Amino acid sequence: MNTAWNLSSGPHIRDSWTTGFIMRVVFLSLVPAAAVGVAVNGLHALLVIVLAVLSSVASELVFDKLLKKPDTWLDGSAAVTGLMLALTLSPSTPLYAPVLGSVFAIIVVKCCFGGLGKNFVNPALAARCFLLISFGRSMTVYQVDGVTAATPMAELAAGRAVDITKMFLGTAGGVIGSCALALLIGGLFLWSMDFIHGQICFSVLISFTVFMGLFGGQGFDPRFLLAHLFGGGVILGAFFMATDYVTSPVSRLGQTIYGVLIGVLGAMFRIFGSSPDSFSYSVIIGNLCVPLIDTYIVSKPFAFRKAAIRAQNGEKRKPLLKRIPKPVIALTLIALLSGIALSGVYALTKDTIDEKRREASSAAYRAVVPNAESFEYADTSELAGQVYGTDYGRVYINEAVIGKDASGNVAGYAVSVTTAEGNDGDITLCIGVDADGTVNGIAFTELNETPGMGMRCGEPAFMDQFAGKNVTAFKLLKGGGAVSDHEIDAISGATVTSSAVVNAVNAGLDYCSSVLRGE
Amino acid sequence: MNHTFLGGVHPKGRKELSRQSPLRRFDPTGEMVFPLAQHIGKPAKAIVSKNDPVLVGQRIAEADGFVSAHVISSCSGKVKAVEKRRTVSGAMSECIVIENDGLFTPLEGMGVREDVTQISVQDILGRVRDAGIIGLGGAGFPTHVKLAPKQPDKIRYVIANGAECEPYLTCNDQLMRTQAEAIVEGLELMLRLFPNAESVIGIENNKPEAIAAMEKAVTGHSRIRVLPLVTKYPQGGEHSLIQTVAGVDYPVTKLPADVGCIVENVGTIYAIERAVVFREPLFSHVITVTGEGVKEPSNFIVRDGTSFAELLEAAGGFREGVQVRKVLTGGPMMGFALSSLEIPVQKTSNALTVLLEDGCERADRQMTACLHCGRCTTVCPTGLTPQLMADAAQAGDLVRYEKKLYGLECVACGSCTYVCPAKRPLTQTFKQTKAEIMARKRAAQAGGKK
Ligand code: SF4
Ligand code: SF4
Repeated sequence: MNTAWNLSSGPHIRDSWTTGFIMRVVFLSLVPAAAVGVAVNGLHALLVIVLAVLSSVASELVFDKLLKKPDTWLDGSAAVTGLMLALTLSPSTPLYAPVLGSVFAIIVVKCCFGGLGKNFVNPALAARCFLLISFGRSMTVYQVDGVTAATPMAELAAGRAVDITKMFLGTAGGVIGSCALALLIGGLFLWSMDFIHGQICFSVLISFTVFMGLFGGQGFDPRFLLAHLFGGGVILGAFFMATDYVTSPVSRLGQTIYGVLIGVLGAMFRIFGSSPDSFSYSVIIGNLCVPLIDTYIVSKPFAFRKAAIRAQNGEKRKPLLKRIPKPVIALTLIALLSGIALSGVYALTKDTIDEKRREASSAAYRAVVPNAESFEYADTSELAGQVYGTDYGRVYINEAVIGKDASGNVAGYAVSVTTAEGNDGDITLCIGVDADGTVNGIAFTELNETPGMGMRCGEPAFMDQFAGKNVTAFKLLKGGGAVSDHEIDAISGATVTSSAVVNAVNAGLDYCSSVLRGE
Repeated sequence: MNHTFLGGVHPKGRKELSRQSPLRRFDPTGEMVFPLAQHIGKPAKAIVSKNDPVLVGQRIAEADGFVSAHVISSCSGKVKAVEKRRTVSGAMSECIVIENDGLFTPLEGMGVREDVTQISVQDILGRVRDAGIIGLGGAGFPTHVKLAPKQPDKIRYVIANGAECEPYLTCNDQLMRTQAEAIVEGLELMLRLFPNAESVIGIENNKPEAIAAMEKAVTGHSRIRVLPLVTKYPQGGEHSLIQTVAGVDYPVTKLPADVGCIVENVGTIYAIERAVVFREPLFSHVITVTGEGVKEPSNFIVRDGTSFAELLEAAGGFREGVQVRKVLTGGPMMGFALSSLEIPVQKTSNALTVLLEDGCERADRQMTACLHCGRCTTVCPTGLTPQLMADAAQAGDLVRYEKKLYGLECVACGSCTYVCPAKRPLTQTFKQTKAEIMARKRAAQAGGKK
């Protein structure tokens, strides 16, 4: 009977957590974000998710079987990789993308480097970048209700305000896993249950925010910072990608450095670069630095750390300020000062920039409402940063003015409109209208289209078509041959620009008639 | 306020099995076996031979040198043999075997309270040494050596270890509840050796009755206080306890006394009191017989030399209808697996734990590659990086293991293995690697001498 007793060496009990359990929990913590993604984007998103997860698991299964390795496909890590990849894809991505990506993630990035625990970059992120490089546009073109739309990140990059609430709730467009709220819930859950290291995710978030605040050019404006935090995969990256066990450093200090590195890189890419995917790259660069960090930062046992040695010798602890190395204090001070200086410069120049803009636009207003002596600004604040109406594309009302003549009577109205539908960027123009609603004319304040094509919208031949007409909306005739008042001939070979301009004019007209003239 | 150290794990305590079972004295009937090597240091030398009559409390083996301890008979009867028997370590080792006459006739003059208010420091140390006292917490370091550090006036803390952080174990809990006065008296005696020290009794907060009893006993003793500790393994480890009480971490190459601390298990302190005040040497101590496989988990005052088989019977034996997977001396974190129960209880035995489920067996089934999740690093009370140590050990890079990763600092507490989700046998690897490095060092030294 005694021979039946086990004799193995202690400890003889084990915690209930297993590899599979951890993977299942991480998977579950991503489910809320996935669910919101499906709810917002519809069935196609669900298909993308399912395909990514299934093909990840299948890839690992096939690899195990082919190479006669121990079965690892059931441990759940492949499913997590698949789900994570799916969350970083566009909801309208073609269905081969998640499959190809998963195969790449599992076979190339994970299994070929030795399987679980051996990959040197996060497989899901690597696969996303692989897809971006291979298929570029189909990954980043996002659609909302079937209409091509810019993501909040593109809007941010263009310097426009975005709807933070929508970003928070995941309805602002973007990748499948773009609901910041759901991701935060999952991430904070993982952190609070000790599944991920707080020193990584919070150092990423804090360093990102601080850097953005110092050097982002808009100071610590919470709307600006939150928009950047909630967009472009920062939350997903900080809580789920950067904290990936295998590709993060071992020591606490190393983890903090790694987190700060990712946060700062991410913020730098945002400020100085233009790619909406920059956060993925910063995490990958962080991953690649891990071996370096782990080589140089090996934590010593408690007994060998400076404080402990001092305690062993019976010395007192130094006051906090003396314990921080001088260079650290100096660097922090320099960073702070230069950040403040930069913010200050921005604040100062902001006014002059605004002034210049004003001058330009008031010149334009004068041009389109020639018989006005003075202008009074209408209150357009509730329109700030929001697409105007539903029929004009991505059109924004910047300003509206009411022109008064010498005796104080209304001489006309002018509206400054920006459209983002131009061929080569934004177009800004002013529409001037008489007191009775007749169009006086239009004037461009920002037009950077292709010379000889879209640029020709700025020529009188095109612009004068609007003058002297009293209509509710204009209509673009792509083939030319306009006869009625409301018809406008397009510039041949520049229908995109022409249509953007007409839409912008219509938006201005609509605003003018419905709000300014109070019809 | 509760105090604790950095790291550690929270295994299921399972103390409810036996914690309300009062201490019972158990008198065995079978032959008694006394290993000569129960302590750290040189084995004792037998001073009795076959057919010699012995009494309870009689010295039967003499300490060999300063770092060694006497062995005391716990029964009366006749010496049957001095021969090799199997002991707790699983190896055969030299033992004195006594035919127990069942009468337990004590030696003359033992167990009478003496007035020790005027006793000298030398006398205290002498009586402790005569009593054959060693650390009952596990390692078995001779107590008279521990109590005589080079600079006694540099000692700042005399720490009574009542943490009892090992899961399942409850005997010290019971001891503190019932012998609080005696433990405090023992501490007062120890404090006489260390004029500049204060005494701290560390007890995990899962033992409210013991804390209350000790609190009551220390009232009026200005140099002694009770410190409730967070319930966390290995809170009762010497390093962790010193870190908690004195706020000092020290390397394994140093002794607690080097950082101004003396740590003794409450059981040892009780033994000191018995030895100094009653002139009663150490021949019995508290032990817990517990585990899901035991019929009536209990706490006993057991006589050294009793066979575990007899002790288990006293607790009702194995539960019927269950499959016993593992039998341990000690608790499930640091205990040793036994192959047979025909092994004597020795001074350092603090428990017999019978498990129906073996974590090691389950771990073998569930093992995966290391995830590098860092849980092992988080829990290591020594501040090591077990995941990297395991990698280095596996790669055979012993230099990196020792120099860069400080692998020899591992105190084999088992926390990392316990917590590892990939079920890697970390602690086990570290014990082996340490043994290998030490063996190489000895070999190199021997080579150097030639
Ligand atoms: S706990 Fe286990 S799986 Fe996690 S890092 Fe340590 S050895 Fe690896
Ligand atoms: S067994 Fe060693 S390495 Fe593992 S936790 Fe304990 S001291 Fe640290």
